[in-house]
Amino acid sequence: MEYKIVGHNILRVDGLAKVTGKATYPEDLYMEGMLYGKTLRSIKTHAYITVDTKEAEKIDGVIKIFTHKDIPHNYYGVLFKDHEVFCSKKVRRIGDPIAFVVAITEKIAEKAIKAITVEYDEIESVFDPVDAMKEDAPLIHDRSNILYHYKLRRGNIEEAFQQCSVIVENQYKTSMVDHAFLQPEAGLAYMEGDTVVVCAATQYPHFDQLEISEALNIPQEKVKIINPAVGGAFGGREDITLQIHLALATWVIGKPVKTVYSREESFVAHSKRHPMIMNYKTGADANGKLLAMEANIIGDTGAYASWAINIMRKAGVHATGPYEIPNVKVDSYAVYTNNPFAGAMRGFGAAQVPIAHEQQMDMLAEKLKIDPITFRLNNCFKLGSTTATGQVLEESVPLIQCIEAVRHKLNSKANDTEGV
Amino acid sequence: MKKINLKVNGVDYSVEIEEDVRLLDVLRNQLRLTGTKEGCGEGECGACTIIMDGVTVNSCMVMAFQAEGKEIITIEGMATKSGLHPIQRAFLEEGAVQCGFCIPGMVLSAKALLDKNLTPNREEIREAISGNLCRCTGYNKIVDAIDKASKYMGKEGDVNGI
Ligand code: FES
Ligand code: FES
Repeated sequence: MEYKIVGHNILRVDGLAKVTGKATYPEDLYMEGMLYGKTLRSIKTHAYITVDTKEAEKIDGVIKIFTHKDIPHNYYGVLFKDHEVFCSKKVRRIGDPIAFVVAITEKIAEKAIKAITVEYDEIESVFDPVDAMKEDAPLIHDRSNILYHYKLRRGNIEEAFQQCSVIVENQYKTSMVDHAFLQPEAGLAYMEGDTVVVCAATQYPHFDQLEISEALNIPQEKVKIINPAVGGAFGGREDITLQIHLALATWVIGKPVKTVYSREESFVAHSKRHPMIMNYKTGADANGKLLAMEANIIGDTGAYASWAINIMRKAGVHATGPYEIPNVKVDSYAVYTNNPFAGAMRGFGAAQVPIAHEQQMDMLAEKLKIDPITFRLNNCFKLGSTTATGQVLEESVPLIQCIEAVRHKLNSKANDTEGV
Repeated sequence: MKKINLKVNGVDYSVEIEEDVRLLDVLRNQLRLTGTKEGCGEGECGACTIIMDGVTVNSCMVMAFQAEGKEIITIEGMATKSGLHPIQRAFLEEGAVQCGFCIPGMVLSAKALLDKNLTPNREEIREAISGNLCRCTGYNKIVDAIDKASKYMGKEGDVNGI
């Protein structure tokens, strides 16, 4: 069979527009008579707020200032509706949106933002997820800070650890990471008859439509999302940022409204990669066969859940790495804190755990005096392996070939260098 | 308000500007040459790279009045009448483009390099785009593309692009 695409070098469909500068990102859209929107954001990590917009409203050129009072249903979020469109009583992190100013120029909108007064009545904050799990920790939302606990149990780790001749136990921590996609968030909204149209770079247009229609309390058919060129995303455009603000402003005012975030605002507006604290105990027998692993993984999801449940489940499922271990106990948690909120980012929870499980493998190999590649080959998944979650791998599992290929390259490189 | 005269992509413009606007704002908001991008506004990312009097500059770091009397090339001025500039063609063919947001700046940095040095090695290519951040590609394909473009341009003798 002849394939048209597979096996051929093809040009990407949007490549031509992108090399000529014609590709349209949301900030490249302009409309006659459009207004500019700017977001007022929290500068405190945890506080009750009182907002006064009176002075700002008097500024010449300010059309309207939106706060929680203007939004019919003041909530959104991909899994839990735990974000407020505009904070009503309290802020939970730096960057929480409080108000949205619409003015005839960007400069006036900026001036009005400065003229809004926000009184912060600070509450105790918690930044360490381990502290946030304690009974007496300040609550970020009206429920436990532990929003998810995933348990994985296989075999009997107590017995298995007793049979191990080597055991390695360590704690690993990964840091918060920003996607830093190159195009900061931007959008333009306008009315098309009685339909509100929002142009914004997003990873989730159909869901944005749903969230806007719920927040504004209007039928879904009255909301249209246009996704122009997207300047990188990497998971960071899965959660709503400016979409509801723009839709609301245009719906109420009736005129086109544009917003472009600065790089700094982009950093505070969108999600981060979950920092994780990973406690690992791994043991093997004298022949270098893995027998048992215990892992306790705490994911800091910051002020909002976003995809925390799926991400911490994925971290738990992948905690063993690609190795056969007959006795496994994993507990992974997603925890609220007052840090920037964490969500989707390339790997989605599977990128953090290799830091831990691979270091464990190296240290076990060293203790056993086995070459680390051989140790991995002895334990890695192959056709017919059963994972810790009980899945039998029946399809392609080319890991051994992959490791062998790496070993081969490493060896030939070593020989090359010797030859020089 | 102030009036400035400048030449962009071979066309003379006379524009009324607010004194505190940047060259980037004039190009995008007034001339609507939106191929020049803003990624940081602080001279860090290179998305706003243009060529001014033969050298690359970050147009977010140039005040509009500083462009008085200057000759500027933006991404919109790269394609020739007969089609794409060889640099653009090479970027397309090598798969050097993903989200595309860094690409206008990358193409202009490549042009500034190749206008001066038609046979750069990979080190020199990397050096020439060291002020342009790309978050998608990992740079290798961009370096491949510029390398390929240098060969195209050497063969075709098409150095000017305009
Ligand atoms: S926008 Fe000018 S260097 Fe980033
Ligand atoms: S292609 Fe996305 S930043 Fe370079």
